[in-house]
Amino acid sequence: MEVKVEGGDEFANSSYEKICMNTFRDVGVRSNLDLVYMYCNPKEHVFIVSVKIGRVSSPIKVGDITHREEGKLRITNETHAPKLLALLWDKYGERVQQISRLEISFKFEDKEIDELKELVVYDPREDLVARILDGIDRIFPEGTRVRSTIPSTGRLTIIASENPIGEEWRKKAEELVSAYV
Amino acid sequence: MYKIMMFEGGVYKFNELKELIEDIGGFILQESVMQTETMLHLAFPEEEERVIRDKIKELGGKFKELPLAGVEIVIITPSLGKHHAVDPVCDIGEFLRRKGAITNMLGLARGVGQRIAQMTIQEREIIEEFDAAVFVFGCFKECIEEKVRLCDMLDVPYMVVGGPPDLAVEHYVGGIGRRTDRMRRKGEIDVLDDMTAELGKIVDERRREIEEDPLAASPLFIKDMIEMVIPPEAGEELPIIIRLDGLRVNIEKEDFGRIKEVEVGKKKLSEICDFKKSLFKGYLLKIRTEAVTGSIY
Repeated sequence: MEVKVEGGDEFANSSYEKICMNTFRDVGVRSNLDLVYMYCNPKEHVFIVSVKIGRVSSPIKVGDITHREEGKLRITNETHAPKLLALLWDKYGERVQQISRLEISFKFEDKEIDELKELVVYDPREDLVARILDGIDRIFPEGTRVRSTIPSTGRLTIIASENPIGEEWRKKAEELVSAYV
Repeated sequence: MYKIMMFEGGVYKFNELKELIEDIGGFILQESVMQTETMLHLAFPEEEERVIRDKIKELGGKFKELPLAGVEIVIITPSLGKHHAVDPVCDIGEFLRRKGAITNMLGLARGVGQRIAQMTIQEREIIEEFDAAVFVFGCFKECIEEKVRLCDMLDVPYMVVGGPPDLAVEHYVGGIGRRTDRMRRKGEIDVLDDMTAELGKIVDERRREIEEDPLAASPLFIKDMIEMVIPPEAGEELPIIIRLDGLRVNIEKEDFGRIKEVEVGKKKLSEICDFKKSLFKGYLLKIRTEAVTGSIY
C-alpha cells in the first residue's frame, strides 16, 4: 500500500502518513488497497481521502481451514472458527457438534462431505467497503462532521469538513484525486 | 519549604530512614513495599537534604528528584474518542506521574474541530480546580492557533502540547500531535522530557507566587493532621491529594464535619482553610495565607 499526503506542513504530512498506514492495518485492509491519497487543507478545514481498491483475497471455504479426520473435522486456522461453527450449526443443526476447542464431530455421508468442503465461511469482499469506510472515518480529524462522497468504480473518495462542502471543492477534489488515484 | 523526593531501595535498615525523616520534621507521602523492594515519596525541609542523601548512600538506595510532586494536573483532550485520546494522552500522563504529579484526564464534550470547538462553563470550572492544565492538540498549526482561544479564558496555569515543532503560542511544546502508536523511541522520549521540563517551569512560577505570600500551614502538615483524626482505610487509593495551595480530600459526607474540627497547631482547620465541594471528586481545601489567619502556633 502506497500512501501520499499533501497540503499540510511537513510535520502534519508525515504524521498523517503514519496514521493512514496504522489505521488501515488496524481495520485489516492494508493488503487490499493499492494507493491512499490524502489532501489536507487545515486553513479552510477541508480534508480529502481517496483510496484505490486493489486485489481482494478469495473466499475462505470450509476445506481451507479444516482438516478431515475419521468422523470429525480438525480446525487448522482458528481465526474463522466462530464463523465456521455458526455456519455448520445453521446448516446441519445437531448433526454437527464441537467436541473440543479444535475438533468438530459430524455424522455425514461421503457425498455430503464434498459439498461441505466447498461451503464459503467468509468472503472478504462482503464487508470490504464497510471496513475501508471505517478506516477513513478514523483517519479524518474528529471535527469534520460534514461528509461528501465522489462515486467512481474501483476508487473511493470522501471529502470531509466542519463547514458545508461546496461544488467548487467537489470539483477540486476530483481534479486532485484523478492526478494520483 | 519542603523538598519532595523519591527513594528506591531494599528493606535493609529501611526503618532508620523513616525515623530520620520523622526526626527532622519530614513526611512520608507514599510508601510501597514489594517483597524486598521499597519505594518512598519523602518530603523534608530543604536544608536537610544533605543528611537524607548521606543516609540513603549508607543504605545503598537510589534517590530521585520529583519536580512535579505535590501538584495535581489535568490533561485535557478535545474528546475521549479514538482520534484524540489514548496514545499521546496516556504517554503524557505516564511521564508526568513519573515526575511525581497526580494526573487526571478530561475529555471535552464539544472540543473537536477548529471553528466549532467549545468549552462549557462547567468544564472550565472543573479545570480551574487543578493546579495546572495540559492541553493536548493535534497536528495542524492553523488548528492549534485557533483552538488556543479555549485556553485563554482559563484562570489556571496551562501548557499546550501539539504537533508542529515551532509555534508562537505561550508555553507550547511541539513534536507530539496526533498519534496511533506509543511514544517509545529515543527522540519521542526526549520530547516528553522537554514537556515535563516546561511544565516544571510553569509550576515553579506558581510556587514562587505562593512563597511570596506564604500559606498558614504546609499542605503536607495538614494532611498528617487530618490522617491522625481520620485514618485512611486499608487499600484506599490516595484519599488525600496534596496540591500547591491546598488539598483534595476524598471523604464521605458524614466525615466532613469532623474534618473542620481538626486541630492544626493552635487553630482549627475551619479557621485556616476555605472548603468547597469539588465538581470532580471529594472536597477542596484551600489554605488561607498566614497574613490572613495569623500564626498557627
